[in-house]
Amino acid sequence: MAGKVKWVTDIEKSVLINNFEKRGWVQVTENEDWNFYWMSVQTIRNVFSVETGYRLSDDQIVNHFPNHYELTRKDLMVKNIKRYRKELEKEGSPLAEKDENGKYLYLDFVPVTYMLPADYNLFVEEFRKSPSSTWIMKPCGKAQGKGIFLINKLSQIKKWSRDSKTSSFVSQSTKEAYVISLYINNPLLIGGRKFDLRLYVLVSTYRPLRCYMYKLGFCRFCTVKYTPSTSELDNMFVHLTNVAIQKHGEDYNHIHGGKWTVNNLRLYLESTRGKEVTSKLFDEIHWIIVQSLKAVAVNASPSLTSSTANDRILKYNLINDTLNIAVPNGEIPDCKWNKSPPKEVLGNYEILYDEELAQGDGADRELRSRPGQSLGPKGGRSRDSGRTVLTTWK
Amino acid sequence: MSYKWNHVASLQRPEIKLESLKEDIKEYFKISGWEKKLQNAVYSELSVFPSPSHPAAPPEHLKEPLVYMRKAQGSWEKRILKSLNSMCTELSIPLARKRPVGEQKELLNKWNEMGTDEPDLSLFRPVYAPKDFLEVLINLRNPNYENGDSLSFRTHLGLIQVPLKVKDIPELKEFFVELGLTTGQLGIDDSTQVPPELFENEHVRIGQKVLAEQDSAAAQQYIRQGSPTALRAELWALILNISSQPEDILYYEQLKTNVIQHDLLVDSLIYKDVKLTASNDDYYFVFEDYLYQVLLCFSRDTSVLGHFAYNSASPPKSYIRGKLGLEEYAVFYPPNGVIPFHGFSMYVAPLCFLYHEPSKLYQIFREMYVRFFFRLHSISSHPSGIVSLCLLFETLLQTYLPQLFYHLREIGAQPLRISFKWMVRAFSGYLATDQLLLLWDRILGYNSLEILAVLAAAVFAFRAVNLMEVTSLAAAEAVLADLSTLKVMPLLQIFLFATVT
Repeated sequence: MAGKVKWVTDIEKSVLINNFEKRGWVQVTENEDWNFYWMSVQTIRNVFSVETGYRLSDDQIVNHFPNHYELTRKDLMVKNIKRYRKELEKEGSPLAEKDENGKYLYLDFVPVTYMLPADYNLFVEEFRKSPSSTWIMKPCGKAQGKGIFLINKLSQIKKWSRDSKTSSFVSQSTKEAYVISLYINNPLLIGGRKFDLRLYVLVSTYRPLRCYMYKLGFCRFCTVKYTPSTSELDNMFVHLTNVAIQKHGEDYNHIHGGKWTVNNLRLYLESTRGKEVTSKLFDEIHWIIVQSLKAVAVNASPSLTSSTANDRILKYNLINDTLNIAVPNGEIPDCKWNKSPPKEVLGNYEILYDEELAQGDGADRELRSRPGQSLGPKGGRSRDSGRTVLTTWK
Repeated sequence: MSYKWNHVASLQRPEIKLESLKEDIKEYFKISGWEKKLQNAVYSELSVFPSPSHPAAPPEHLKEPLVYMRKAQGSWEKRILKSLNSMCTELSIPLARKRPVGEQKELLNKWNEMGTDEPDLSLFRPVYAPKDFLEVLINLRNPNYENGDSLSFRTHLGLIQVPLKVKDIPELKEFFVELGLTTGQLGIDDSTQVPPELFENEHVRIGQKVLAEQDSAAAQQYIRQGSPTALRAELWALILNISSQPEDILYYEQLKTNVIQHDLLVDSLIYKDVKLTASNDDYYFVFEDYLYQVLLCFSRDTSVLGHFAYNSASPPKSYIRGKLGLEEYAVFYPPNGVIPFHGFSMYVAPLCFLYHEPSKLYQIFREMYVRFFFRLHSISSHPSGIVSLCLLFETLLQTYLPQLFYHLREIGAQPLRISFKWMVRAFSGYLATDQLLLLWDRILGYNSLEILAVLAAAVFAFRAVNLMEVTSLAAAEAVLADLSTLKVMPLLQIFLFATVT
């Protein structure tokens, strides 16, 4: 038994279990001594709640950081980014520079957002400035597109008004809290359709920040053509891309599930828009990810349900590479681990940001390598068709 | 237009001297860019039209010099038309009808999302599938050729039994010299391990220069080593001599109007084909609506009829109701003379990765069709015709991989039965998109489809070890079912230049 990693999980998914078993790890229960626990979100919440005061021992690893919900919950994420920006501003960091209109030059990646019902009045003030704009309402604690809707009239969100007679009717608990953001109604369309990006990022340590991006991310398409017309505001199939929603649209095609790989997206964009603008796009995406991580912790709820055979293979490989980085060489975890893993174990991950490497070259580098300018040696480029050129921000 | 007026105006100026007029005009052409445009246009014609033949040769010879091939193509066409007509009669649907005004309005509104339409297509069947066509090719015989009963080392053991001249590997090496081991290639020398300074950066720079010069011939030569993704759309347009002029856009709009006003039976065939093939493809499903916008217009484009001058096929003729046999009432059906078959939409799909403006996409596809794709489904002796490609494929396998070839033949898995569909579709839908585009770069660069046969053989060579172990056609198909991970250029390079022959 000595030397074999002991694992527990409360999620019965083959992509996980097959990966554990193929490494010869030993399954145990949560009451026994375990090294690796792949926890569901509920369990994480319980394990790390203030009341239980549970502490991991030095040879234990779990699949989420305790504060993961800081990014999972939309209201917390927004709060964190706003606070992060203010902090940088206070420090006088060049990253927090603004233009003459007061817009952040490098940190403007979240649309105008308010918390409801808390910021209702602030929101109304903003809404009145441009009354013909559309806003998107998202429940803070839900995922997979549930409960999202669009509005373009104040009357549609009367419920969240603090003065409203019905406000006592609506529970003020965090479960019913919403965020409302300015809706971006001119998204990039491909084949006339809106799409979003599903990227997998692994954070192995926070201090120093070490994160990896899985090269095989993908785009999810709407089945229906996009139209900014107000008559289609109710048609979620036009505006939302989460597969859980699309699955029920009449046009949903079971064979491919409306997805493209990120490499495909890159090929299309380079072919139709040119290389520079495409590289800039991907640089900026990477930048946003790193900045968001710096502001806070990681999203907890990627769907492990596979919708197609290809999808299952993807997720299996993803977990495989994840485990290779998180538990190198299948050794019993040790909290003193601090080395960067060698390149060979990265699999389909590439280094998104390694603070140690970055700081090794002096702190002032961070300014120079703003998105769009790749500096320094190119870190691991994707080997398969289509390439992602990685910038290491130093 | 403005160029012409300036030209005329300048001729009236006193500085124009009669003595130097010829030189002045030449100079004028150069600086205005018209010289380049004329060169490109001439080059385009040279690429498309066959070389001048004997002055006494009748026009059929331009289409196809061999009588037996012409006859075979004629019978095949009759069969297709019969199939189409009987479907028409069975379903009581006219070949063409004018749409009522209400229907026209509806279609116009839905023009950008015809994919959401769900007409009942269950009764329609594709007019033919590639495997039907293969059977016809297998039965082709040259009546003047005596094969003899005795087997010798010369006996061709494949499915194609007509004696056409095809290149062997030494000739292919010469023809495809730029794909050699010592020449840089996109698709190989732009991979992660190779520093871009060694080849890629310089190649991109040259590509930009070629585009700046707007020289078709130079572009064609350049693209033999592959095109950088960012330059590909423009390079292909340059090689095909496509520039989107206002009259081109207008022409496309007119075709669109035709679609709105008239409904054709082939439209249903097109819908069905798109739904069955492109809509289910991992890469191309996104572009479903573009495919309708291109293919429906294509069916109505009578300018396509021009390519039948050098195509062994002829456009099917139909007669106005009640006037059967009366030439004055004959029409070509569909108007462009091309009856789509199962998988036809896959010729258009990859182009959607390069062009998102419908009229430009349309022009590029049309030109690709009349230069290359038509050869993949008509019976002819042309070196890029499907018959030659099949023969080339089989000969390469039999000559350079005899063990594999014999083995597959023994177990009832004639290799052509598997590779035929790849070649007929120019590998669209079988390779990953970026690989397909690299392959089509070379089709344009060499102005030949022979590379399809070479790639097919290279794929078999690559999977030879697994194929030697199978014992049935189904198992062989399974080994070759998934080509999506293949890297085209290394395969071709190894097969042509690094295999011991």
